Amino acid sequence: MQALTAKELEYLVDSLSNEDLLIKQNAVMAASASNPAIKQLGANMIQTHLQHTQMLLQSIGQHQQFAPTQPQSH
Amino acid sequence: MYQQQGHAKPMLSDEDLAYTVLADLKRVASEYTTAVTESSCQQVRQLFTNLLNSTLQLQGQLYKAMEQNNMYSAASPALRQEIQKQLQSNQQTEQKTEQFLQQFGFGQPAFRSPQYQYQQQPMQYQQNGQQQMQGGSQTFM
Repeated sequence: MQALTAKELEYLVDSLSNEDLLIKQNAVMAASASNPAIKQLGANMIQTHLQHTQMLLQSIGQHQQFAPTQPQSH
Repeated sequence: MYQQQGHAKPMLSDEDLAYTVLADLKRVASEYTTAVTESSCQQVRQLFTNLLNSTLQLQGQLYKAMEQNNMYSAASPALRQEIQKQLQSNQQTEQKTEQFLQQFGFGQPAFRSPQYQYQQQPMQYQQNGQQQMQGGSQTFM
């Protein structure tokens, strides 16, 4: 485990936004769709995206202790 | 096409709802691919790789469900003569590349190995393809 680069942090944060949007879109699909297969798939996908969100948050948290507190020269 | 709820609120059709999610899964898979290639930390790279695989599985599941429910029609099949044309043209390119490699002393043509005998054994190719499709188990944790 090493310090996160600024770029990696950006991707992790962007990915959290993406997963958040997918959770909400799937919730709308699960609630509104009339086709039972699509409805069920929406409900299932919410769970996977919640897992993704946890994994992303965990990764940011794990890297916190390796991060410098002052700007680095390189 | 549009269904009405109790308060006569306009609603997206099932197709539109599913297509919106499908389009975003494609976009997110593409972003995860970029994230993998631009990661420096091995753990972060592995995380993005796992999330990419998981997202591709979701995209595949949703696509299949849409196809089965007639919400998505795949592109029409490529014509046999077009396949033959592309195969011939790319075989010629590959031969030229082999000649190019031989100039550098990389003589052993890898494309001559048995798995690339495409024309003689089309059935074997189908089987390989199916094995690959089944290979995607849930291993993203």
